[in-house]
Order: sequence, then C-alpha cells, then structure tokens
Amino acid sequence: MSLRSPLSKVLGRGSAKNGVGHWWAQRVTASALILLTAWFVIALLSLPALDYASVAAWVHAPLSAVLLSLLVGTLVYHSQLGVQVVVEDYVASKGIKVLTMLIVNFVHVLLGALGVFAVLRVAFGAAV
Amino acid sequence: MAQFRLPENSKIRPGKTYKAAADAKDVRSFRIYRFDPESGATPSVDTYEVDMGKCGPMVLDALIKIKNEIDPTLTFRRSCREGICGSCAMNIDGVNTLACTRASSEVKGDVKIYPLPHMPVIKDLVPDLTNFYAQYASVKPWLQTRTPAPPDSERLQSKEDQEKIDRPSACILCACCSTSCPSYWWNSDRYLGPAALLAAHRWIIDTRDEATGERLDALEDPFRLYRCHTIMNCAEACPKDLNPAKAIADIKKMIAERQH
Amino acid sequence: MSAYQFIDHTFDVVVVGAGGAGLRATFGLANSGLSTACITKVFPTRSHTVAAQGGISAALGNMGEDDWRWHMFDTVKGSDWLGDQDAIEFMCKEAPAAIIELEHYGLPFSRTEDGRIYQRPFGGMTTHYGKGTAQRTCAAADRTGHAMLHTLYQQALKNEAQFFIEYFAVDLIMENGECRGVVAIDMAEGTIHRFRAHKVILATGGYGRAYFSCTSAHTCTGDGGGMVLRAGLPLQDLEFVQFHPTGIYGAGCLITEGARGEGGILRNSKGEAFMERYAPSAKNLASRDVVSRAMTIEIREGRGVGAHQDHIFLHLEHLGAATLAERLPGISETAKIFAGVDVTKQPIPVLPTVHYNMGGIPANIHGEVVTIRNGVSDTVVPGLMAVGEAACVSVHGANRLGSNSLLDLVVFGREAARHCEETVKPGTRHRPLPADAGDLAVSRIDRFRNAKGSRKTAEIRLDMQRVMQNHAAVFRTGESLQEGVKKLDAVYDTFGDVSVADRGLVWNTDLIETLELDNLLGQALGTMNSAANREESRGAHAREDFKDRDDVKWMKHTLSWVDEKGDVKIDYRPVHLNTLTNDVEVVPPKARVY
Repeated sequence: MSLRSPLSKVLGRGSAKNGVGHWWAQRVTASALILLTAWFVIALLSLPALDYASVAAWVHAPLSAVLLSLLVGTLVYHSQLGVQVVVEDYVASKGIKVLTMLIVNFVHVLLGALGVFAVLRVAFGAAV
Repeated sequence: MAQFRLPENSKIRPGKTYKAAADAKDVRSFRIYRFDPESGATPSVDTYEVDMGKCGPMVLDALIKIKNEIDPTLTFRRSCREGICGSCAMNIDGVNTLACTRASSEVKGDVKIYPLPHMPVIKDLVPDLTNFYAQYASVKPWLQTRTPAPPDSERLQSKEDQEKIDRPSACILCACCSTSCPSYWWNSDRYLGPAALLAAHRWIIDTRDEATGERLDALEDPFRLYRCHTIMNCAEACPKDLNPAKAIADIKKMIAERQH
Repeated sequence: MSAYQFIDHTFDVVVVGAGGAGLRATFGLANSGLSTACITKVFPTRSHTVAAQGGISAALGNMGEDDWRWHMFDTVKGSDWLGDQDAIEFMCKEAPAAIIELEHYGLPFSRTEDGRIYQRPFGGMTTHYGKGTAQRTCAAADRTGHAMLHTLYQQALKNEAQFFIEYFAVDLIMENGECRGVVAIDMAEGTIHRFRAHKVILATGGYGRAYFSCTSAHTCTGDGGGMVLRAGLPLQDLEFVQFHPTGIYGAGCLITEGARGEGGILRNSKGEAFMERYAPSAKNLASRDVVSRAMTIEIREGRGVGAHQDHIFLHLEHLGAATLAERLPGISETAKIFAGVDVTKQPIPVLPTVHYNMGGIPANIHGEVVTIRNGVSDTVVPGLMAVGEAACVSVHGANRLGSNSLLDLVVFGREAARHCEETVKPGTRHRPLPADAGDLAVSRIDRFRNAKGSRKTAEIRLDMQRVMQNHAAVFRTGESLQEGVKKLDAVYDTFGDVSVADRGLVWNTDLIETLELDNLLGQALGTMNSAANREESRGAHAREDFKDRDDVKWMKHTLSWVDEKGDVKIDYRPVHLNTLTNDVEVVPPKARVY
C-alpha cells in the first residue's frame, strides 16, 4: 500500500507540456493521407494496365515519384503516431514500454526508408 | 494498467437467492454484486426477488426496500434521491447511472447491479473514489485571478458568457463518466478522466478567470489530456446530460490554436 | 470495550458536517491559520445543501430598489415574531457582502442583461416593509445550492482544508459541561477516532428524515442534535417544522419556490388560483406556512386534484418553454423523472412536504451554543458551537422564508470561523482528555453493532416516521399531539429491541443507520412534546384548538431536553426583541397578513 497522498499521485511529475504536436500531427497526416490516397487510387485506375511496365513508367514521372514518396512517408509517420498511442494505452510497465516504442520506431523508420528507396529506385532506374 | 483477466480474488462465485413472499404479484429479480472485505471470501452476485407492487419506481427504491426488509447488510451510498448529490452512481444493467433516477421498469429482465466499473471496491456497491476526487482537485477547480475584485460588488459577466459555464457547472461528480471510459480504465493513474477535464474546461472558459494559460499548460500532457480518444462513452453515461467529450475536444482545440 | 482502540487527533477546531455552513466555517478557519479538521459522513458535495434550488437572499438591489432593513422586516414577519431580531439584523445586514464574496469565489450566478447577479422574487420577500414585491433572491438557474456547495468545496480545496471524509460523528466528548472534542467512526476502515479540539462546530443539518415524506436527503438525520441531547443539553423550537408547499406528490422531491417566483400558479380541482383568497396581496408568493395551510384546506374541503383528490397542481406551462429552459431547467428535469410531467404542457402534482427544521441547537450570533444555567438563558456552553440548519440562532423563528437558508449557512458559517479566529490562538495547548473520554460513543457503537433484538432498524424508523407524519403535521390539535406523544413513546421503547444484522466494521451502514435512528428518535420526541406543549398558533405550528398567536404567553423559545429514557423536559428562553445596533428599529409584533 502506498503512503503517498492521492493528490501527490495524481500530480506525479507534472505536465509533460507536450502532446499537442503529436495530436496535431495525427490530424495533419490524416488529412494528407486522404488527399494522397485519393490521388494514388485515381492515378492507378487511370493507368492503361496494371502490369509492371505501365506502373513503372508511371512512377518514372517526377510528380508521381514525389507524391508516391510522400505517401509512403506520411503513411509510415501516421502509423507510427497511431501505434505509439496504442502502446501508451496498453503497455503499463515502463521498461517494456520503452523497449516496445524503440522497436516500433525502428520498424517504422525501416519501413519508410525501404518504401521511399523502392520508389526512388524505380523512379531513377532505366526506363522500361 | 491494462489488465485483461480478473485477479483471483475478484472472481465471482455464485451467491444467495432471497425469494419473494408467496403472495407477491409483480416479482422482479435484482441481481446484485456483493463483496465483504472482512469475510475473506471472493465477491458473489446475490439475487433478491422484490414485489414491485409494494416498491417505488426507481432502482434506488428497490435497493432501499431490499436493505430495509430483506437484507440489512446490503451496502451502497445514497443521499438526496433526486439526482443532484451524485452518491448512488452504480452500474445498472450494464450502464453507469444514478440508481435514484433510473426506473426499474426501464430495465428488461433481471436488474443487474454492480459497482462503478474498474474502481477498487470497498464493500458491495461502494467503490473507492479517492483517486477520482484527487484528479478533480488537481485541476485547481476554483476561480484564479490577479485583478482584484471590485470591493463592494460582483465581477460582471455577460449573460452569454454565463450560459457557457452554466451547464458544465452542473456536474455532480458522480463519476459515471470517468468510470465508463475505457481509456480511464487502462490509465486512471495518469489520465485525468472526463469529469476532471470537464471541471477544468468549466474554469478555462469562465470569463472571470485569469489563469487560462496556466490551466492549459497543466493539461498539455500525453496522458492527462490526450488519452481521450473520443470514445464518447462519457457523454453517453452522464446522468445530467452533460458532454465531457465535447469539453475535452474544446480544450485540445484551444491548446492547438494558441500555437498559431 | 478493550476491543476498540482509539486513534487520537488534536486540532484547534473541529467542524462536524460539510454542507454549506460547515464548509464555509472550515475554509474560513483553514485560512486563518487554525489547525482545522472537517469531519463529514458524506463526501462534501453530497451534503444536502446541494439540493437547494431557488436561491440565496440579499438586498443587493440588482433588479430594483432594495434595502437590508426591508429584508430584516420580511424575515421577522416571516418568523411570526419568534425570530431573535438582533440575529436577523446581523444576517440581513451581512447578506450583500456574503453574496458578493461567493461571486468572487467564482459561483456561477445567473446574470442580468447588464452582467450583474440575477435576482428573482421569492415568498414573503417585499419592499418598503410589505408594500411591494422584492426581487431579492440571487440565483444560479434553479441549482443555486449545488452551485454554492461546489463553490464552497472548491474554496476548501484552495485553502487546503483537512477533511475526514466518510467519518460518522458519534458523540461529543464532554467534561464538566464543556465540550472537549468528538468521537467519529471511519466508515471505510471501521476504526474509531477521537478528535480533541478547543472548539467543536456542529454543522450537521436538519432531521427531516424523522418524517415519512420529506424533501430532505436520506442523510438528513440531525446527528448534531442527537449528540447535543445525549450531552444533556437542550434543543430549541423543535415544534417548528416547515412544510414546503411544493414537494412532488408521491416522490416528495422538491420543486423550488422559485417556480412560483418566476410566475408559477397553484390551482385546485376547479382550476381556481386559490391563493388569491388566502393571501390577496402576495398570492402564490405568500410565505411557506401560509401556502401549505391553504393547500391543506383546499384538499380537506374536497378541492384537491387527482383520483383521490389528495394533491394540488402547480402550473408552469404559461411561462413558456424558453423561460423554463433558462430559469428552471433542473425542476423541469425533476418533474419529468419523478412525476412524468412535461412542464411546458402539463401541471406538476404537488403536496406540502416536510422541508426544514427551524429549530435546532440553540446558538448565539457567533455560533456559540447556549443553554439555561442557573436561570441565565444565554449561558454559553464552552467549546461547543453550532451553525446552519442544525442550529437555532434563531433567525427563522417559527417559519423560515425561502432563500434565507442558504444565506444563514454562509453568514453564520463565516461568523463562526471569525469568532474562533478571535478567541482561539493557533496551537494553544490542550489539557489531557478525561479518562472516560469517548466511552459513551464506544458503548453505543458496541451495543448497536451486536444488537440482537427482534425489530429491524428500518421497521422502527418507519413506525417513528408514520407517527410524526400523522401527528405533527401541517395542522395540529392537542388531542392528536398527545396521542402522538404516546405512540412515539411506544416506538422509542421498541428501540431497546432493535436488531442489527451487519456485524462488520467496514462500511457497516446497518450500524450507521441505527446510530442515525437514535439521533432521529430524540429529536422526534422533542418535536412532538414541544408541539403538544405550545398552546398557540405561530408560523409553521398551526394548532386548530388554539388558532391565534398568543404573544403574551408564548412569545418565547421552547427548550427541550430528552434523556436516555426518552423523557422530555421543557423550559423556555425569551425571544430577543431588540436589535444589535442602532442602524434599525425593532419590528414590533403585529398581525401577520400577506
């Protein structure tokens, strides 16, 4: 049984004075994803065919490459923000929480890097 | 702390059944959570058959009838019996509400009554609300000013500005909202919960208050405020029809707005 | 008795009760540097002050001209000249400052167009000594008590007052006629605590639950009054029990007088606005005793409404949905829940319902408890104070005016704190407690916890409530009161045969309700006997066999002592027919017409 006063427990270490950045970023990335995903779906649907050659040619275009890179980056960032909330919600043990967050962040950065690299590779590769 | 399985001492065993008198006409069963910390036994759910023909309309009337006539050991908080003191908050038919304003007839089938969810239980339907009250106190729920008040008269406030705080001030601290919030269940040690945040908001929007910035500073925290995931159970549960979720959204909006 | 161990505490001042008066005293004391504890059987915001609706009176003059002297006149007249005029002067004069102070604490008062505190008309509140209608009752919609209680609790938090929450005060610790402290049981732990203090302030509220049907909360059991009686001290003016005209028929929940203040009208089965006959000038806003009697007569003469013609309708439909939503949102909701009535379309079924105890622990304007000793009627009981509904100062006399109660709480709660500040030096050393300190409390706890009689607490309580309801009602006769005394004595005898089923110590509400019943029974006896004794009609005490007020014989306060055998002894204190200062003149007694 803790002998700390209830108020002392609630006040804890005080306000972290952040959170708004995270909250705002979630909303900004969500808005960006709506636009980017819409563009992505429309762009794919308007391709003559969905074979490797047509898609690669499309990725080759500068605008497609840039927007596709942004889509990957935003998606990964948004996912990272969301998974962070889930971890904070459900993982109570401090050690496991830090470890989980590290892994989550590493995985997201890795996924992002791989995704962008893949796009750029196709974009800068020789035309088919 | 997220915990998905009941600890051993919280597992519920079958309880006693108290039959209604043979001549009772309109019998309803009240299935009530019982826990006596002094008995050493795990909790049980006892069943009380009540003759509704001789009982008042509200669930609290039935609880009092059971305590008065069937089992005086049944323990619960109650006071005003008109929905203003907030004592008799409990979980009735799966919903957090006040026993004094919930009619038994609104419940289909057996009336199942449990203490407010996810709170330490002291005895039967009496939860320990210490942490809840401390959270309320932590938002400094009083007027903070630097400008001295006029010595012989009130601070002026327009009707429109008063109307903004009129409803939120009517919170009765029953804890129905906070204890209905999954986010509060998992993180009540760090998330302030809808009731405390509603109280904080009431002072943030009070035009007489001069500590808006400090109040927002104190709330800007991933856990204190941002554990609210807009689940809206709070607004659904509030027996006074208040909307803590909206108040929390407004706090988040204000914190975001002051950045730009 | 060795099974129980005391946990000892020492404070400069201990306040018992955390309603309006208790909280106001508590944070005043905390702020003054006196070490203070507030013991309360419910979390502070659950205290019954929370249920006050209409408002709090003060001659602010925000809605037209006003003067605290008119307020004083109204209060004296409302009291049917049983109120002590020095105390009434004090309360009415202090009122504006007390309200302004509440506003400065942040109380969310409703506002006028120019941003000032909104004030509404209330029963018996007039201008120019009875000539006009005053708008004197400051309101926060129809949740003024709620707004006030929460504001006061917030101030207690701000001033870091120390609370002992869900501690039930059992008995006073008395030594040679002096109060040395109080014993309380911690409901959550079942431990027994002995609080030693230079002053104990009782702010425990009324004992409405002595009656079967009342607007009072289940917790209004007059615990302070019970403790005082067991300490061998008297209570004052218990026969004056206020029936609120508009309790919801059946449920008993309160519909504020503010409903009539905003224009609501009482009608009988013929649709007649009958108050015009009983109070031609004030009509529906006559004082509560007058309206309750009028309603009772209408029902008695066969003009009641409903299947059994046993209640009256309160009409609000004509006020319009907008006004009802703005000014009376709470009672609109209450009427919907408890009477199934949509107030914008249908009238509310109402009945006079027990609401307030004008009587209580006799106290002076500083809150010091007084008694008669050696023929001196204002002898102070050292160490003991009382404020709020628990006390009888007496500012309400034989009948309280609506919205004077919340005022009473803050004015005298504040004054009690101020008085302690003046008379107690922080940290003053305490003498050791007498050897038997707390034995009375422990013996009672032990006896009731192990009571193995044949009658449940609830059965005895119901018997008492029925006798009170039937024999100490709106109208009384000597015969019926004498019968009531006999029946109540019989009920009191059965209390020796009480049974308590819960033998535990943790949150044993069976035990707590039995201790509460003990408190209620003493005050029920005092009430019935004092009523049987007072052979006149005054304020809320309406005797059909003595229809007139008799100032020669009865302009005096009743004091009643109730011993452990249930025997009642009666004596009297003079009414203070003098003012406190020369700012105002005494209101001389005259016939009371509204």
